[in-house]
Amino acid sequence: MFRFRRLRTKLTVLYASLFATVLLVMAGVVYSAIASNVEHVVQGELAASGTVFDRVWALRTTQLENGAGLLSRDFGFRSAIATHDAATVQSALDNLKTRLGADTAFLIGPDGAVTPVGDPGPIKRLSAAALAGLQSDDAAAGVMMMDGAPYQAVSVPVLTPMPMGWVVFASRLDRAQMQGLERLSAIPLDASIVYRTQTGWRDPAAAGRDNGRITTFVDTALKLAAPAPMPLDEGAGRGIGLAKPLQSLDQNAPAVLLLRYPLARAMAPYQLMLGVMLVISFGSIALLLFGSWALARDVTRPISALEDAAQRLKDGEDVTVGVETNDEIGRLAGRFNDMAAEIKAREQKITHLALHDADTDLPNRQSLEREIVAVARQAGEDHTFVAALGVDRFSHVRGAIGHTLFASLIRELGARIRQSEPEMRVARLSSATLAVAFRAAGPGDALARAETVAKMLESPLRLGENTVDVSLTVGVSGCAENAAGVTSVIDRATIAVDQARDSRRRSAAFDAVLYGDPAANLSLMSEMRSSIERGHMVLHHQPKFDLRQRTIVGAEALVRWTHPTRGFLVPDLFIGMAEETGHIRALTEWVLSQAIADQRAMAAIGKKLAVSVNISGRLLSDPEFAEVALALVEGADGEICFEITETAVIENPELALAIIDRFARAGVKVSIDDYGTGLSSLAYLKQIKANELKIDKSFVFALNESQRDALLVRSTIDLAHSLGLQVTAEGVETETALALLSGMGCDLAQGYLIARPMPMNQLLNFLADEAEGLKAYG
Amino acid sequence: MGRLATLLPIIIGLGLCASNALAGDLAVQVKSTAGAPVADAVVTVYPASGGDTGPIHFDWPMRMSQQNIEFHPFVLIVPVGGSVSFPNLDNVRHHVYSFSPTHQFELKLYGRDETRSVKFDKAGTVALGCNIHDKMAAFIKVVDTPYAAKTDANGALVIHGLPPGPATLHLWRPYMKAPNNELTKAITAPAVGQISEAFAVEVHPPAMMHSMY
Repeated sequence: MFRFRRLRTKLTVLYASLFATVLLVMAGVVYSAIASNVEHVVQGELAASGTVFDRVWALRTTQLENGAGLLSRDFGFRSAIATHDAATVQSALDNLKTRLGADTAFLIGPDGAVTPVGDPGPIKRLSAAALAGLQSDDAAAGVMMMDGAPYQAVSVPVLTPMPMGWVVFASRLDRAQMQGLERLSAIPLDASIVYRTQTGWRDPAAAGRDNGRITTFVDTALKLAAPAPMPLDEGAGRGIGLAKPLQSLDQNAPAVLLLRYPLARAMAPYQLMLGVMLVISFGSIALLLFGSWALARDVTRPISALEDAAQRLKDGEDVTVGVETNDEIGRLAGRFNDMAAEIKAREQKITHLALHDADTDLPNRQSLEREIVAVARQAGEDHTFVAALGVDRFSHVRGAIGHTLFASLIRELGARIRQSEPEMRVARLSSATLAVAFRAAGPGDALARAETVAKMLESPLRLGENTVDVSLTVGVSGCAENAAGVTSVIDRATIAVDQARDSRRRSAAFDAVLYGDPAANLSLMSEMRSSIERGHMVLHHQPKFDLRQRTIVGAEALVRWTHPTRGFLVPDLFIGMAEETGHIRALTEWVLSQAIADQRAMAAIGKKLAVSVNISGRLLSDPEFAEVALALVEGADGEICFEITETAVIENPELALAIIDRFARAGVKVSIDDYGTGLSSLAYLKQIKANELKIDKSFVFALNESQRDALLVRSTIDLAHSLGLQVTAEGVETETALALLSGMGCDLAQGYLIARPMPMNQLLNFLADEAEGLKAYG
Repeated sequence: MGRLATLLPIIIGLGLCASNALAGDLAVQVKSTAGAPVADAVVTVYPASGGDTGPIHFDWPMRMSQQNIEFHPFVLIVPVGGSVSFPNLDNVRHHVYSFSPTHQFELKLYGRDETRSVKFDKAGTVALGCNIHDKMAAFIKVVDTPYAAKTDANGALVIHGLPPGPATLHLWRPYMKAPNNELTKAITAPAVGQISEAFAVEVHPPAMMHSMY
């Protein structure tokens, strides 16, 4: 189906084609009724004309025969013949020929000799068959071809009483004769005599025309029981023909009267009517086209206006459609205007909401981003800075004054900035962070100005009844700065706030070096597995020295990663990240299995060492890890110790304790690592069924200098011993410390004094040397 | 037998008297192709020897009467030089004519019991008509041989006393389908006894004469 681009065209075409279809059908019906009627009339007329022709033919034959008969019996004529008086015979024939109005008259003798009247030429060319037909015993009448033209002829024998000759009269069946016949018909038909030739039926009046069609027609017609009108197409349009066989004197040349009537001629009287109808039809179609076009234009004009308005509304323009009418379209236009106004209002509201903080009605981050662009456009990126102002101890403050007042506080802070620094663009980034975008000469100037603002904001605020003191930490970053991974200056400013807080400062400019590249570090995690497979990650072991036996009794397995492109990686970096990203389990499983393998290698040279592996507190709530770890430990050739680091929060203490119990039951020693720092507390000692406690190196470092530390270490050792725990001191770097620890009753020592963490081959050498007593500690 | 034996010489004697020689008979039967007897067929025989050359005499009257608007007889055999009388036995008058080349004549309107006489001195066929009554037709066959006869209603005839030997037989009949309405056949006449000839001919009924006009 064709799709219209315009309603107006559609309506017009629809109306016009409907109307045209109706007209066409009507015209078709009228035409076919006329055509059928005409055909009927023509058939009747042809049949009637055929009958009239029969009658005319018979009359003419009778007339000729009567004349000829009279002459043939005239005694004088007969005696003229008998006496061979040719002149008399000819004159008598001529006389009667004139009287009868015949064209030709002649006498045939008993021997076939012809006595002509006038020009003997045509008669000489009479065919033998025609001559035989004329020499009939009785009077004969019929069509005869003479000199290529048809004649109506009669022949009457001259009897005396024996035939003494035949009197022949013939009238030429020429065009005039046929026209005479045609005039007798009510319809203007064509009459002609056609006769059989060797090649078919021939119409002498239509020489040169296609005889094939006439031949076919006549042959078909003659097969009918009685002559009947039939369709005849001679190549010049449809017609109806009637073929009436005629008596022929020459049996070799039968003749037929062919009446025909082209239907086009029959239709001619109706042509004018049909023409008028056609003109009226075209006229009405044109009128209808114009009318429907005009109507459609009126109907569609407001629709077009609406369409145009909708387009402009889409483009964000303010539009109002002129309401002109009271009909549906008018009402639609009214609704449209309402809608447009509504949309405008809503859009403004949404825009406001999108760019403002709902609590304080201060501009939000999106708004600030726009402002930054605006400032940068004016001042240039080098002079555009953003300062983030974080309210310190946010949750504490909000807890103290409540959410509503806190929002008022932030609003008040925003208002103060606006008041004192009108050119600064304020926004609220998060609950407790405000930010300003401003122009400054350089980074130093920017930081100074931000600090000034912060100082101004820290003056006590009155909120209703209460006076509130706030302190703020300031982070500043410039638009032109570009740190890897942090493209937003706002983000850099907020990171700078964190950096300032981390370094316990009140303000800081963003430090890209300090920030590092977290994204790149994160990508390390995905490389961890392949690094293990390629041997980039290896285990180093740090021996543990038994202070009583004065020998190495164990080693702590520590992972070392030499990255192919980044070089040696600090374990703190990737282990913390592995804990955060869930990769810690795979890493720990590998460390454990490698440690067991290394332990077996040590055992192979006769060194039975207890091997310690660090287990993240995070893994303690993972029963699946516990299964894997226990399965691995089962294959160990020696004592395995799990050092539980409590850098990460133990999420599910009950589950963790159950798992630690399972480890213990399986013969795994459990050690509490880094005791004295971080989250470790007495609660741990109470809950965890450990075998060992490792005193953090920060206490051991200062052992020989700080009386307090020494005291703490001693009492910790005592505490552990009284709880049945073995004590290992970490970070033993001096002979003094080793001696002190030994004196305090510490069981084991670990540190650079004894040995640095070393790869497996070095460890094996180290153990061998130690066995030979090459090492002595204090 | 004895009787026959005594008669025979007499007959022979008679025959000899008539012909001066031995003589045979010719019997002719004429029928239409459909098998119907054809009357009024004239047979003339011309013996190769010439035969009797004396004056010819036939034993039927030389008369062509008109009665009931008809000629009687339809065919009349007349010897060359013979005169035929044309008595009108009707109450109307007739105008008898002949346009035949053999003998053209005209007997203008004559009434009842009037008799005209015409002498025919040339052998041939003379077709007779009446100028007043178109349907009247008759034929006079003028012959120059004594051996001539016409078939009776049964289509049969007998010619006696033919001299023996080869002869030419002519069969003529009005309206018979043949050139000049005549057929010719060579025969051999027997010295004694009779030969028979049979003809099957096609005769067209005299055409339009009666109807249309």
